Amino acid sequence: MSTQVHANLTAEQVRTISEDLGEPEWLLETRLEALEALETLDMPKVIRTPGRDWTNLDALEYERIVDPLDRSQEKDRVEAEGVDVLEWSEALAEHGDLIEEKFGSVVDPQRNYLTALSTALFSAGTVIYVPEGVDAEDVKIRTRMNSQSLFNYTLVIAEESSSVTILERQSNGDDVEGKQYYSGVVEVDAGENAHVQYGALQNLSEETYNFSVKRGHADTYATVDWIEGNIGSRLTKTSVETRLLGDSSESQIVGAFFGHNDQHFDLNSRVWHEAEHTVADLVTRGVLDDKARSVYEGVQDVGREAWDTSSYQRENTLMLSDESEADASPKLIINNHDTEASHSATVGQVDQQDLFYMTSRGVDEERAKNMLVEGFFVPVLEEVAVDELREDMDDMIVQRLTT
Amino acid sequence: MSSEDLKDTDTEARFEFKKEEKSAFETEKGLTEETVRLISEDKDEPEWMLERRLRALQQWQEMPMPTDWPGQPDLSEVDIDEIVPYIRPDIETRGGAESWEDLPEEIQDTFDKLGIPEAEKNALSGVGAQYESEIVYQNMQERWEEKGVIFCDMDKAVQEHEEIVKEHFMTKCVPPSDNKFAALHGAIWSGGSFVYVPEDTTVNMPVQAYFRMNSEGMGQFEHTLIIAEENSEVHYIEGCSAPKYSAFNLHSGGVEVFVGENAHVQYSTVQNWSKNTYNLNTKRAIVEADGTMEWVSGSMGSKATMLYPATILKGPGATDNHITIAFAGEGQNIDTGAKVYHNAPDTKSTIESKSISKDGGRTNYRGLVHISDGAEDSKTNVECDALMFDNESTSDTMPYMEIQENKVDVAHEATVGKIGDEDVFYLQSRGLDDDDAKQMIVAGFIEPITEELPIEYAVELNRLIELEMEGSLG
Repeated sequence: MSTQVHANLTAEQVRTISEDLGEPEWLLETRLEALEALETLDMPKVIRTPGRDWTNLDALEYERIVDPLDRSQEKDRVEAEGVDVLEWSEALAEHGDLIEEKFGSVVDPQRNYLTALSTALFSAGTVIYVPEGVDAEDVKIRTRMNSQSLFNYTLVIAEESSSVTILERQSNGDDVEGKQYYSGVVEVDAGENAHVQYGALQNLSEETYNFSVKRGHADTYATVDWIEGNIGSRLTKTSVETRLLGDSSESQIVGAFFGHNDQHFDLNSRVWHEAEHTVADLVTRGVLDDKARSVYEGVQDVGREAWDTSSYQRENTLMLSDESEADASPKLIINNHDTEASHSATVGQVDQQDLFYMTSRGVDEERAKNMLVEGFFVPVLEEVAVDELREDMDDMIVQRLTT
Repeated sequence: MSSEDLKDTDTEARFEFKKEEKSAFETEKGLTEETVRLISEDKDEPEWMLERRLRALQQWQEMPMPTDWPGQPDLSEVDIDEIVPYIRPDIETRGGAESWEDLPEEIQDTFDKLGIPEAEKNALSGVGAQYESEIVYQNMQERWEEKGVIFCDMDKAVQEHEEIVKEHFMTKCVPPSDNKFAALHGAIWSGGSFVYVPEDTTVNMPVQAYFRMNSEGMGQFEHTLIIAEENSEVHYIEGCSAPKYSAFNLHSGGVEVFVGENAHVQYSTVQNWSKNTYNLNTKRAIVEADGTMEWVSGSMGSKATMLYPATILKGPGATDNHITIAFAGEGQNIDTGAKVYHNAPDTKSTIESKSISKDGGRTNYRGLVHISDGAEDSKTNVECDALMFDNESTSDTMPYMEIQENKVDVAHEATVGKIGDEDVFYLQSRGLDDDDAKQMIVAGFIEPITEELPIEYAVELNRLIELEMEGSLG
């Protein structure tokens, strides 16, 4: 895999980044180890169907796109009362020990080539620390990348009986031309009885390659909910994952995507039930137009000791064009019989009868189709408890339909 | 076609002949070209068949073992160098057991528990009871013959229906290059059934290979070739429901089905291989316009099964229906499913898959639905239900859907659950004991399969499941 490492991607650059953020020695070490590991690590696994790899990550020329010291970005952070929403340098100064304890405990920095690259090079990011018992709403982070490549790292630590809603948005500034690379790692550590809802809305330019891993650990009675909206990017490879480690923990993963032109989405959702009485619900809806492709894999993994598990998954894809392609693979891995689990997936087109009904009522065909597509997302949008995120997502869908 | 062609009058002579030949095979080690040539020579095959075998052998040698499928059964015990000893008993089977008493006790026991009459037991277990079943076979044969239907064993088909076999045998449907075990099969296949149904002909009773298979002492590499011409209809039943008593433990069969325009083929099988068998089979059908293929299968036995019957819907309006049930008990890993390729417009498919896992057994539904660009107005519906008895067991569902066409209707649904405590309680409160209650629930669970099978198979499947549930099957 070493072919991907650029000659000028050096330890020196990593030291510079680390110094700028005022990092302690352990984090620099972690970064340098990750850099070194690039030599041996593989690309993340892509979804395969018999005889076919759907996403070719090797074809991406990281060495030409990634420019470690060009990390220009704009970031808005909206704090909520009682919560620390900090950039990395601040966070390390204020919560150094806690970060040392939690960093990389949820997402292994050397999980694969791309996470290691993120760990070595991240310069942007946020630490959200929610102290015990604090209820916080509407933490908002907006990142606009103005550079060729940007590595963003979000660490969420929610202590016992706290709750927080986080909304993170990614888009591009206007200044950069040509291919760009955005990489985001999100770690969520939800303590006992904590409730974390993390929503992401990705609207990157269609020349941007986007790689993200979002993963949460849920302790006893904790809830980790994810909302994953993908509208932009040339190629998105994303994994949203929860390990239900404590008894009675829960997770919901809600996804929506809308691909057009030549966009390619490789989307993974995964939940591990590793304790008793855990509940998971995975819901994803997507629309494909033009030559867009989507590959979806959702896995519900019920462990041997996961007694009294409830696990549900639904995935629906709507295809608007004959040239689009969709692949769906909802998987169940069940090792405990005391389980109620189901999954379903559908692929279809706009219902011709509905269309006929609407046009016969005087709605022109274009508008009728748009309304039906908008309506298709409703069951997913309804699951989005954060009003602002839901409205933004809806706006983006409408915008895509009308342009 | 004369009636003489259809009669297998010299079974006994051939039987003796094979017995004499077997020593030639015993000296072989490893799977070599020489072995393949010996098989072909032994069967007095035409040159083209030998060439196909040798080409398949080469492909077998070149292809890697499947090892990296997510969650696939462990095949590390399948030792390539031990393959030849598997062939040897194939030839030997006929002489393997002289009498009922020679059979392993667990097999005798199973037949006793199934409540199968003595004569049939002998036939099913392959204990030289060909004559009982031959009568049944020949009675049916006369009826078919009048209609121009051919039903004979595959080795004989190569001799007597050479042109048609040459055209269809491992060419368009299951080429040896399909997978490693299809290649192995192509090299050393032996025995099996050949079914040919002419145009506009309906064979209105099931064609059963159940008896004949055993009377012929079918090997573990049997080939089945079914050709149903335009507007014809046939229901073929493969009876490997008899637990094989052989010591060897690899079964790698091949099934090829050609469904002509507007023809209808149903292929039913209840497999109950012994628990030391690796069942690595390849089954495929090609369906022309408006034709229908139906697969009905129950997978009970084997140590590990990897089997995904496939249908290629080649002509517009073609239909495929899969109904499968898998039961995995202690030490078993049943990895099975269905593959459907929608390659023409207006094609339809349904897959209904049920699995039961118990006592540490492992079942997996691994399926593929592929809709090609241009296969507009295609419809597919996949339903998988898994029933689990305990947390030692595993049940996985791994469907893949590849959709390259937008005017389609694709749906997949799967559920997993434990056996309902409330249901058990309800039945117990009506006076059934715990075991009976569970059996009744399982019988209800698999009913969609049993109702597709002729009654004697349905009864046997139910009885097999009962025995599995009691844990008393050998």
